Amino acid sequence: MNTLIDELKQLIINALDLEDVTPADIDPHAPLFGDGLGLDSIDALELGVAVQKRYHITLDSTSAETRQHFYSVANLAKFISAQQAS
Amino acid sequence: MNAPDQVNSFADQRHKVSNTQQKVIARGESGDLLAGEFQRRVAGVAGCLLQRPEQRWALVCDDTPWFAAGFLALAQARKTLILPQTGGPESAAEAQAAAVLTDQPARFPSFASVDVTAVPDEAGAPVSTDLDDALPVELYTSGSTGRPKRVDKLLGQLRVEVTALEARWGQALGDALVLGSVPHHHLYGLLFRVLWPLWAGRPLYAPVCAQAHEFKAAARRFGRCLIVSSPAFLTRVTDFAMLQPPDAFAALFSSGAPLPAATAAKIAGEMGRAAIEVYGSTETGGIAWRTWEPDKGQTAWQPFAEVETALLGATPGLLRVRSPWTWKADWMDTGDLAQMLPQRRFLLCGRADSVLKVEDKRVSLAEMEQRLVAHGLVSEARLLVLKDKRSSVGAVVVLSAAGRRQLGQTGTRGVRKALRDGLRAWYDPVLVPRKWRFLEAMPDNAMGKIEQAGLQALFTERR
Repeated sequence: MNTLIDELKQLIINALDLEDVTPADIDPHAPLFGDGLGLDSIDALELGVAVQKRYHITLDSTSAETRQHFYSVANLAKFISAQQAS
Repeated sequence: MNAPDQVNSFADQRHKVSNTQQKVIARGESGDLLAGEFQRRVAGVAGCLLQRPEQRWALVCDDTPWFAAGFLALAQARKTLILPQTGGPESAAEAQAAAVLTDQPARFPSFASVDVTAVPDEAGAPVSTDLDDALPVELYTSGSTGRPKRVDKLLGQLRVEVTALEARWGQALGDALVLGSVPHHHLYGLLFRVLWPLWAGRPLYAPVCAQAHEFKAAARRFGRCLIVSSPAFLTRVTDFAMLQPPDAFAALFSSGAPLPAATAAKIAGEMGRAAIEVYGSTETGGIAWRTWEPDKGQTAWQPFAEVETALLGATPGLLRVRSPWTWKADWMDTGDLAQMLPQRRFLLCGRADSVLKVEDKRVSLAEMEQRLVAHGLVSEARLLVLKDKRSSVGAVVVLSAAGRRQLGQTGTRGVRKALRDGLRAWYDPVLVPRKWRFLEAMPDNAMGKIEQAGLQALFTERR
């Protein structure tokens, strides 16, 4: 899980072209959007695409579930490993 | 055309529909909101508002069904309806709201406020459900100057515009559930996601969809849907084939900016249904629409039946429009250049002024520069639009003495975060600068003017 978390941090930095952000700056439990890392609605779309491509999963959840999965790096890691296991 | 009659018959129709207490007003993941409960909410809040002395009310709700209830309650209580540019207290203060009707009261500690979710039913005297067409509604958007621009409408103008949308597309839409990816407090979302469904008796989907698969999930659960979206969203959807079969979605609307031709073709090819693009602005409301045809590609813009168009100057000239929903039904400049075609159709040929858009959202760089300097950490700021994989705002700043002190304590990351957090109070997160360059002094050329090319180069060179 920790490897996945580190991988996801790097994926976020690369896919969203974040400047001056290192993996160590991203708290896996902090919110990705709004007050935490400060990502926006375009980032949400780009991140969704990047995650599907990188982990070969298909997103297919309702709005509330999606918000939950994409809330933080830790949640996203949990979601991806559950998808890959199923 | 006789707009007032249309509105009245439409309102009567709506009245009949809403008499059915079991009619679904909104669907969400935690269940349906039925007309009976919705009307109790509206009546309770309207009754409470009638007892309040304040006349100018900002409406700020994160939840769309509560926003809809608050909107109607303010209208029934005949309060001036203000929709600030963002959901923060700064925008409400700038709009000179006397009080705030909100589902986020903790956000407005320094305001007189009413928590729309916590008003007891029958809180006040019974209120007439008649809506006053002359009631003022204020929207806010970015102008080309250093201040946000207030756009005045009358409630009746919003009703006439919704009536026109229903006349144009209503029959084909049936009772499709209205999904959307755009916020409800700007004109496009207000009309398409809230007022049109509400007044036409179509259910609205409560959450704002952040990703395309949410449309699919909603259609699977609730049946036939329609989508209200924008180019910033649609250009990032990799797979429209998941939004199949064509019957599952009654329509896909796009507004905010022109849809790139390739995206329009991709939607039609993969979804089996062409997007309907709507051209308009906060000031003018809806002007025209176009779609995509297999042999022709994107069609020319077709004005709505109620909209008159004219060109100012040589071709391509400045497009002017007049309709029942332009201010005082008078002519307004669009700021866009256009070329006229037969049958009232036209082509758009770019902007006549320097208004900029970042991912469909209008931004005034001058205004944002002033806000940065007002923050205190910055003595000089120059902003520019960067176009890479996405468009965004880049900031070149010279720090003030206070800014340099903070730099010493927190480094550039701390300063950047403080500046970004400051701007987020005023702007959609999409507009807040993502890339920052901190300089000792602005790069002036020999004429003492800051060179645009020099600024751009700061973002392409390796740091």
